[in-house]
Amino acid sequence: MKCLLLANESAEVLFYWTDTEFEQRVQEQYGLPAFEDSINTLFAPIIISCSTMVDRLGDNYTSFSTENNHIYVLHQFEECLYIAVNGDGDETEEDLKRKIFVMKKLTEIMFGMVTFSGALLRKELRPQDTEQRNRLWKKLRSLLETYSRLRENDQSFLVEAVERLIHPTLCEQCIEFLERRLVQQINSNMDRMGEEVLHAFILVHTKLLAFYSSRNASNLYSSDLLALIILVQDLYPSKINLDETSEELESSSVPEVFYTPEPSPPERESGDKNMAEDSLQTLEAPTPDPSAPSRVFLESKECPMPHSMYCLPLWPGITLVLLTKIPNSHVATSVCYFLEAFVKLEKRLCEGHEGAAAMRGQPSVQEQRSRLEKLIKTWAGMDIQTSQLQNAWTDFKNKAFSRSGSGFTRDLLPSCRNMKTQLCGVYRQFFAAECMGSSQRLAPHLQERALSMVQEKLMDWKDFLLVKSKRNITMEFPGLIHFIYVDRSNGQMIAPSLNVTDRTVSELGKGPLADFIKKKVWSLVATAQRYLQKGYATVTLRDGDYFYCYFLWFENETGYKLEVIDIPSSPDDGAPVGMLTCDYYRKLLRYYSKKHQNEVVKCYELFTVHLGVIPNEYILQHCSQLARKLWEPTRIPLL
Amino acid sequence: MAETATLTDSRRFFFLYDSSKVQEEVDLTRDGIYYFSPEDTPIDQQELLCGQLAGVCRCVSELSSSPVRLLHLRKSKYAVRMKDKFLWALSCVVDIPDVSVCDLLDQLIALFCFYNGPVRQSYQLYSKQELALRWARYLCHLQGGSTELHHIFSCLRTIDSTHIDPLLLLKAALILQACQRCPLVLAGCILYRGRVVSTQMPPALTVKVMVYETQTYSQDFQVTANGLSSLVGSPFSSTATTQVFLMPTELHMLRCPPVDRACRSHCNQPPCQPSRSRLLSRTLSDTPTTDTDSSSLDPTHCPPPSYKTVPSSPRSSLSDELCFSPSPSRVNTPIHSNLMNQSEYFTPDSHVHSTSNGTNLCAVEEHLAGLNIKQDIDANSGSETKSNGLNSDQDIQSEEIKAPANGYEQSNCLDNHSDLDSQIKSEENKLDANNHVTNKNGNGETEEEAKTKSKQINRKLKEKNEPTNTPSPHETLEDTSLVPLVLYQHRVKGLVLALLVEPEFITDHSAREEVHHSSLASLNGLEAHLRNTSPGTPGPPGPYTFAHYDCIQNTLTTNVCGRSVGPQDQAFVKATKLVHSHFSRLDTLQEAIVRNASSAVYGTRTTAQETYFLQQGTPVRNSGSPDPQDSAFSLPRKARLRLLKHGVNLL
Repeated sequence: MKCLLLANESAEVLFYWTDTEFEQRVQEQYGLPAFEDSINTLFAPIIISCSTMVDRLGDNYTSFSTENNHIYVLHQFEECLYIAVNGDGDETEEDLKRKIFVMKKLTEIMFGMVTFSGALLRKELRPQDTEQRNRLWKKLRSLLETYSRLRENDQSFLVEAVERLIHPTLCEQCIEFLERRLVQQINSNMDRMGEEVLHAFILVHTKLLAFYSSRNASNLYSSDLLALIILVQDLYPSKINLDETSEELESSSVPEVFYTPEPSPPERESGDKNMAEDSLQTLEAPTPDPSAPSRVFLESKECPMPHSMYCLPLWPGITLVLLTKIPNSHVATSVCYFLEAFVKLEKRLCEGHEGAAAMRGQPSVQEQRSRLEKLIKTWAGMDIQTSQLQNAWTDFKNKAFSRSGSGFTRDLLPSCRNMKTQLCGVYRQFFAAECMGSSQRLAPHLQERALSMVQEKLMDWKDFLLVKSKRNITMEFPGLIHFIYVDRSNGQMIAPSLNVTDRTVSELGKGPLADFIKKKVWSLVATAQRYLQKGYATVTLRDGDYFYCYFLWFENETGYKLEVIDIPSSPDDGAPVGMLTCDYYRKLLRYYSKKHQNEVVKCYELFTVHLGVIPNEYILQHCSQLARKLWEPTRIPLL
Repeated sequence: MAETATLTDSRRFFFLYDSSKVQEEVDLTRDGIYYFSPEDTPIDQQELLCGQLAGVCRCVSELSSSPVRLLHLRKSKYAVRMKDKFLWALSCVVDIPDVSVCDLLDQLIALFCFYNGPVRQSYQLYSKQELALRWARYLCHLQGGSTELHHIFSCLRTIDSTHIDPLLLLKAALILQACQRCPLVLAGCILYRGRVVSTQMPPALTVKVMVYETQTYSQDFQVTANGLSSLVGSPFSSTATTQVFLMPTELHMLRCPPVDRACRSHCNQPPCQPSRSRLLSRTLSDTPTTDTDSSSLDPTHCPPPSYKTVPSSPRSSLSDELCFSPSPSRVNTPIHSNLMNQSEYFTPDSHVHSTSNGTNLCAVEEHLAGLNIKQDIDANSGSETKSNGLNSDQDIQSEEIKAPANGYEQSNCLDNHSDLDSQIKSEENKLDANNHVTNKNGNGETEEEAKTKSKQINRKLKEKNEPTNTPSPHETLEDTSLVPLVLYQHRVKGLVLALLVEPEFITDHSAREEVHHSSLASLNGLEAHLRNTSPGTPGPPGPYTFAHYDCIQNTLTTNVCGRSVGPQDQAFVKATKLVHSHFSRLDTLQEAIVRNASSAVYGTRTTAQETYFLQQGTPVRNSGSPDPQDSAFSLPRKARLRLLKHGVNLL
């Protein structure tokens, strides 16, 4: 029984997802003809109480739990309230919180800075046009389900780090190929329509074979890479949790489903994962344009930058992904600059600062004013609607700068907020997928060319890669059941596979034992993260017949182990520990680096499961050896 | 905005809200608020909190078809109980484990029901103001005075046995056992200055019995229990009886503890025939000849289950406990027809009188015999007025005794008479039924044996299910089935003997006399010894910090001092909270070591206990990478070694 819901402050549901069980339960209890009305009625009192608590007590709910162990997790992001519910015991409070943060991340990837304005986000998430809304919600629901599937089955989504295929030679060859042949060829072609490939990578299922970034590209953060893998998996799902029969069916009769260039997801494995709304299922979205890219907004130092993402399926399970810079993307930076200025101003005005004090910490007012004037003029000439922005700006200027206006006082707040909304609006017009000309893309023949080039290159490796992705690394320590090694500095992990239902037998074999171990591994990671959140970097546990260890430590670039530090413990309602959302480890590294400013700091984690009968000394020795041994492969450069 | 922002962070709220009083639009939220703590919270804020939380709880419980248990907020959390139309909520800071705050709320509700009976009924009989005083007292009892560690484990406060002659503990246990010879006495405990010296009750009951004692001690003042009590005596020695309400399961445990039935032979004499000849209070040398029987007991019989809290010391079980444990009182004691007759109830003779030294008891008795009830109370309140420690609250309290309380006694107890009778009968029937069943299955086992075994099994099952001995919430809230009983308290200065007795005890003059007279001398002796024992200035703290929690007895042994908590202790408490919370969530977890840069804590548990250990001093500097030399991993060995001398055996 699961549900996830987004609502704004006026208790309007902006998006919801439920499983069938939840839907049935609600229907039984409320039975309103439209399911959405039932959901609305149901959650309205909670949503309203949330805003009352914030307004009047300065506190807010973070979770409820009931005697029959139903869990409700709530989180407010700006004007948007997220509620996640679980009533079947599959998810913990922490899982639900993570799901909320992932949902937030997905909206940021899809809408970028538009999420900064409640009003615009509402427009974006709840389009007036029903068909359009259904299409969008279907997409979001599908993404959420894809994420849940990965989180449940894929270790790289368990620890939120990208898993690499360990084959240094091939990896190097591929990187060279991507750089010298593929990216160079596309970027020098006239039919690229002003786009420029910045990043290119090859995925085998969820594992990374090779990754190339062009010289003038900014860094692609691990959180974004993980989110992009969700998008790719949503378009071309791996068969990781299909049972044997359906797997056979697929491999024998419908392999071509993966060759179809249509980016619509193939049928899911079972009915219960499909979304709840009947109306949606009957409404088939118009066949999407096969060569149309997805719009993604990726983190950069300045602001969420718009990119186009091209997913080119090489073979089932193997995908080439290209990320391109789109025309006018520099506009994002300037919009963002001013948006931030208005956010700061609003904050200071709210705090009661007035006059010059309100603008403290910002460049001179006059300079900013003239810069914005110029920009608005430029934008007006760029084929977008700027009249509302111009009106808002005039209004702001009248209030802030003229003698008759209020100057920089609290009275300026409404104009300030309006400017924010209008700036977001401009950003939206420039970059939101549907607003951009639908013809903006790399020419289809260019995409096809890229696909066939890489296919050709990897033809002989294809089968090897698919097997390798299931048995990436093996273990040699007697009594060691499982381990996960993570390099948090580059967001990558290594672990033996744990394919419980897959036909290929994993290190642990298959069946109930493997399933049991998988559960234990999942709970070990959750436990370790909970302790880490409270500042504990080493944890060992004796639980039943097994012994679990968790270590987090820092090294410099040469592998010298740096001194342990007290890690600040974060509040319970903070972001979950991980990389996909709010990148905890990036912050941790930044925190540690303050004390080691003259060297590059690396952060590593090791999770192990041993048989409990093995004496502790040996287990610890194993862990130490393992860390040394695994350190080597991570040295091999990916870029 | 955020008008009470500071309020919610720092203050702990507790409220009882009756949503049946607020159903229409026009109904005011305040009408539903039965009790709100802190009481000086402005009414509009009370309304805000109650209204919002009750609304959200109702909404969630409807959707999930289950009552809400916990509400987390960013700055605080609330344990919640919903029953009938009532909603209880107790808040605490976020870093207290969920399990601890939920336990605390359950204890609080159970405490109220113990002294007042069913909640709905209490609010029909008493005004909100009166009951508010009681809620406040229970809250204070559960929250006040103890260390954070005590809160985490919600455990009993016991005397520090490390500075006490073990013989004294034995003596206390013997006093209790001796009292049990009176068949009307079910179980007892001895408290000294608000701490447990010895108890025969399960921890959940002991905690309830301690309420008034803790307060009495802390104010050095004679508090009558709630309105139901009668009280006679000087400030130094007095007795009091209070009506209390037990859950059927608690009562069952008391009435039929799975003691070895062979011991029954001592007690098969008619219940109401006091044997003057036998001194109930005994010393070690006073070994009864009959006890030699016990040596011939069937060796397969398990020793009686010991809820006995021998304070702060895991080395407990008295070897000869078996011999001294008489069987409990019989269940089928006939109820006096004039049980609650007021005149008889208040006949001074029926009170057990007290003196400071017990030598001129007869004289006092004669003197008191001439008094009537009014004088009795007047004299009593007079003596209260004399003692200057009174505050206005307590004045009100003493007023209460005279007026509404007596009314309640009359009406309620008389009304309850037949109920009581039938309840006890039904209890008997249940037992009989139980008995028959086991007998049938017994295949030649004697009835007694079968009964004993089945109870042992039951107990084991019970312990398995409820390792903390906290009554399950549903039990606590089963208002309707509460069974009235009487709490008898005999005070000798800082020492209190508290006995749970059958209701007939009040009217059974001879039984009261017997219990009183025979225990008085021993209590005096025990009190003198305890008083002269130095309070135990804690020795130089070791180079380590530890806490040992006994889940069965619900006691805590620790060397973390109450108030002055140093950084190491704080680190210890923080880790203990987390690991305890983890233990409570994961049954299979046996041990954990957690470390950060400045401290490493080792926690280990069995079904019966949890132990936490921290070696002081910053751990040897290392990187935190896997390293067999890491000092954190030697903690289990060190803990085993160090804690042996505290009587904690981790082998």
